[in-house]
Amino acid sequence: MALLKRVGRAAGCGLFALTLAAPVEAGAQDVARGAQLFDTCVPCHGANGAGSLDRRAPVIAALPAWYVATQIGNFKAGRRGYHPDDAAGLQMRPMAMALFTDADVQAVAAYVATLPPVPPTDVGGGDAGRGQTAYAVCLACHGPDGMGNEQLKAPPIARQGDWYLVAQLDNFKSGRRGSAEGDVTGMQMRGMSATLADQQAVQDVAAYVRTLRK
Amino acid sequence: MSHDTAAHAAAHGSVWRRWVFSTDHKVIGCQYLFTGMAMAVIGGLMSYVFRMQLAWPDAPVPGYGVVSPGEYNALVTNHGSIMIFWVAMPVLIAALGNFLIPLMIGCDDMVFPRLNRLSYQIFLLSALVLLGSLAVPGGGFGGAWTSYPPLSAKGAYNLTPYGAPLWLVAVALEFVAFLLGGINFVTTVMNARAPGMKASYIPMVVWMIIIASILFMASVGPLVAGAVMLLFDQILGTRFFDPAGGGDPLLWQHLFWFFGHPEVYVVLLPAMGIVAEIITVFSRKKLFAYNTVLLTAAGTGVLSFLVWAHHQFVAGIDPRMAHLFTVTTLLISIPIAEMTFVFIATLYGGSITFPTPMLFALAFIAEFLIGGVTGIFLGSSGTDIYLHDTYFVLAHFHYTFFPIAIIATFAALYFWFPKMFGRMMNDTLGKIHFWGTVIPFNFIFIPLFITGMGGDHRRIYSYENFPMQMTPFLQELRIVATVSLVILLLFQVVFLFNFFWSLFRGPKAPANPWRANTLEWTAPSPPPHGNFATMPSVYRGPYEYSVPGRADDYWPQHVAN
Amino acid sequence: MIEWLVPEASTYARDIDWLFTSIFLTVGFWFLLAQAVFFWLLFRFRRRDGVPAQYITGEEKAEKRWISIPHALVIACDVFLIAATVMVWRNVKQVLPPADETIRVIGQQWAWTFVHPGPDQQLGTEDDVTEVNELHVTNGTVYHFELTSKDVLHSFSVPAFRLKQDAVPGRIITGWFQPTTIGQYDIQCAEICGIGHALMPARLYVETESAHAAWLRDRQA
Repeated sequence: MALLKRVGRAAGCGLFALTLAAPVEAGAQDVARGAQLFDTCVPCHGANGAGSLDRRAPVIAALPAWYVATQIGNFKAGRRGYHPDDAAGLQMRPMAMALFTDADVQAVAAYVATLPPVPPTDVGGGDAGRGQTAYAVCLACHGPDGMGNEQLKAPPIARQGDWYLVAQLDNFKSGRRGSAEGDVTGMQMRGMSATLADQQAVQDVAAYVRTLRK
Repeated sequence: MSHDTAAHAAAHGSVWRRWVFSTDHKVIGCQYLFTGMAMAVIGGLMSYVFRMQLAWPDAPVPGYGVVSPGEYNALVTNHGSIMIFWVAMPVLIAALGNFLIPLMIGCDDMVFPRLNRLSYQIFLLSALVLLGSLAVPGGGFGGAWTSYPPLSAKGAYNLTPYGAPLWLVAVALEFVAFLLGGINFVTTVMNARAPGMKASYIPMVVWMIIIASILFMASVGPLVAGAVMLLFDQILGTRFFDPAGGGDPLLWQHLFWFFGHPEVYVVLLPAMGIVAEIITVFSRKKLFAYNTVLLTAAGTGVLSFLVWAHHQFVAGIDPRMAHLFTVTTLLISIPIAEMTFVFIATLYGGSITFPTPMLFALAFIAEFLIGGVTGIFLGSSGTDIYLHDTYFVLAHFHYTFFPIAIIATFAALYFWFPKMFGRMMNDTLGKIHFWGTVIPFNFIFIPLFITGMGGDHRRIYSYENFPMQMTPFLQELRIVATVSLVILLLFQVVFLFNFFWSLFRGPKAPANPWRANTLEWTAPSPPPHGNFATMPSVYRGPYEYSVPGRADDYWPQHVAN
Repeated sequence: MIEWLVPEASTYARDIDWLFTSIFLTVGFWFLLAQAVFFWLLFRFRRRDGVPAQYITGEEKAEKRWISIPHALVIACDVFLIAATVMVWRNVKQVLPPADETIRVIGQQWAWTFVHPGPDQQLGTEDDVTEVNELHVTNGTVYHFELTSKDVLHSFSVPAFRLKQDAVPGRIITGWFQPTTIGQYDIQCAEICGIGHALMPARLYVETESAHAAWLRDRQA
């Protein structure tokens, strides 16, 4: 698909040269470059950013640009995807390293933010009722609707598949994520995840977050 | 039988019947030729895209855009696959074999014309499947043309769940096409030679295509079986190559290279044959030591089955095995060196002229020498530890494959164009094209030998993460290679113009413009259905040039005295 | 000649570079000779009016010498190169000197994991130090490495060591090296392993004994 798309893009190349000559809003150019760079993400996250359970790739469509940029930065710097047992993280880290400049990181993040939201894949399980109680801890940052809070650097979690929430909570609990120097929010999350006693509690929270989606 | 079919086709004379569903060996040869040329353009443009990425990483490539790592892998994989399976094989073996064999051995058509047509149709299908595999969700296969499992065996690893099986199906179909073609070639030469054509009177290019076909048929069987097993691994979930299920990834490597190394000689030998025909004609000399050439070709063929594991020195085979394969690999240098010496010796005492086909044939010898001698570095297991999968390997095999598939093919096209299409190509444009091809070619791959010695590994889309590789010196070499490639590609426009302009507007060619001996030049240009007005008989070998005591400096095979 | 481009940082790097140079000189001689003869013939026997080509079959004994003598010389060169190759290969890949320490190297999509023996110099004990994409070794120590892969083929390549070995899932392949030069070097993957193939760069740190000990302490704190 990607190669075929490129043939079409080649046809549009002349037009692109023209648009470069005209004064264009900087943001629009970012998104255009981000759209091209996004090809690196497509094999796992899909062209619409819907992710893939098989590839252990989360939904990224419509994630806020600040969060995407921060996490790509974390992966690049080895603050995430640093643990030998974090197989998915070790696959994501090199992909983040394919963005060689901060401008390219921002461009991809800007493009990801423009992708329309998509419903995630769930695997089910867990008790949403019990999860609601546990969610009280999360509420302060991620909000009652699970849509996050930019000031507190909390990402929206309500649009994520339950398997991904479980995987990340496990990562936080075991130190596969959030124990690297410089990952301030990750370290906070390590503390929060410790309040979940066991695997059942983790699944319950994920089950509750599932109910937050409209 | 074959003549009836041809006459039948001619009687029905519609364009459709004459050009698409023809069983005439010349038409099928041209179908292979044009399909191969179209694929060469596609493969060449792919190399443009990934070389641009290497020279100016992450910048949008003009006409393409930014190259992502996955696309880069798909581009290099399909460039390699296309150039070997869909350019070198169809043009050197199928196109020239189909066109030349019946004409050069003096018969009216292949002995199995319908099998021949089927062979092309399967080949065309394989090309379409391959091109289609670039457009499926997930994109084209990116696991290298060697397609090593487990990467190639599981969509979860290669991330091209549709591209990988389609690539494999395309390759398997292509093998089937060439198996059919090979059977046809061998049978035709065994059974349909003109009266009087002894084995030692067969032109060298025909011998070489036959030996190549036999090599191909003998080596491809294990790989076809391997391809089916890999396809099962991909789509049925068998585990032939998966260690977790008791399989072995190295099994594929053995099957692949058992075919893959003879394959090098499958394309090399026809190229050598082409060069033998052309240098004898343009130096007006008898081929030096005909029997020796034949023996070295046969020796190369036999040895080529015993060298495959030199591709696997560092792949995890038993280290003691490496010695055996080093010995066989270095031994194969002997017949190949000898064949080269024979060609050089043929020039001695000649009366050499330099029209375009001769320039390309001579360039083949000069350039192939570089490919040959650099092979020693890689056949030696000790140096291969360092050089394996670096750009040194890449430059080495491009110094063999480019002379084979491009330079020798151009020599053949310029040489036989008058016979194929009944018109002459422009020699001045041909010479411009020659220098515009051969000079940039060296400026592409000499720098890449050096980057390979400097530690550049293959199939790396960007060296920005490797401080030792991202030096200004190595980067400048990469840029030199890329700029040279662009120049080389631009000069191919001269060829395409010359080719198509001459096809319609070139001066009419006489039957024997080069005053050559072999039988195809006794047929009209272009030869009609059935090839010869009167079927020729053969009285002597193909290289009786400058025989003392004769008025002419050539003595065609069919002339009684 | 390779040493002009890449530093020699292991004991056998010098052997491999020597072999490379030997081959270069041998085949370089043949190459120049063949090209010189070739171009001289083209010049000497270019077409001239009134000078016909000679009729030489190449089947006479005297003529065949032009092929058979170079043929014998090529065999002699091959024998020399084979002997040199066998020596180098035996030393690098076949006969492993006794190890001072053993490390484990694991490839996966798309990272290298290195398990270092801790201060006790024994692998598989409590104090092992596991690192992603960083390999720390002591200068002068003879190391064995146990190489494997978790998913697809990778190839553990350290150009400065002239070391390359494929990592095969389901197998543990043992090899060796002895660093000779302190510094930082690239570790590359040399076998295509998917879309992240170019993006699994690891670093090799060849350190003095005291620096290595300090690093180990730091990692265990």
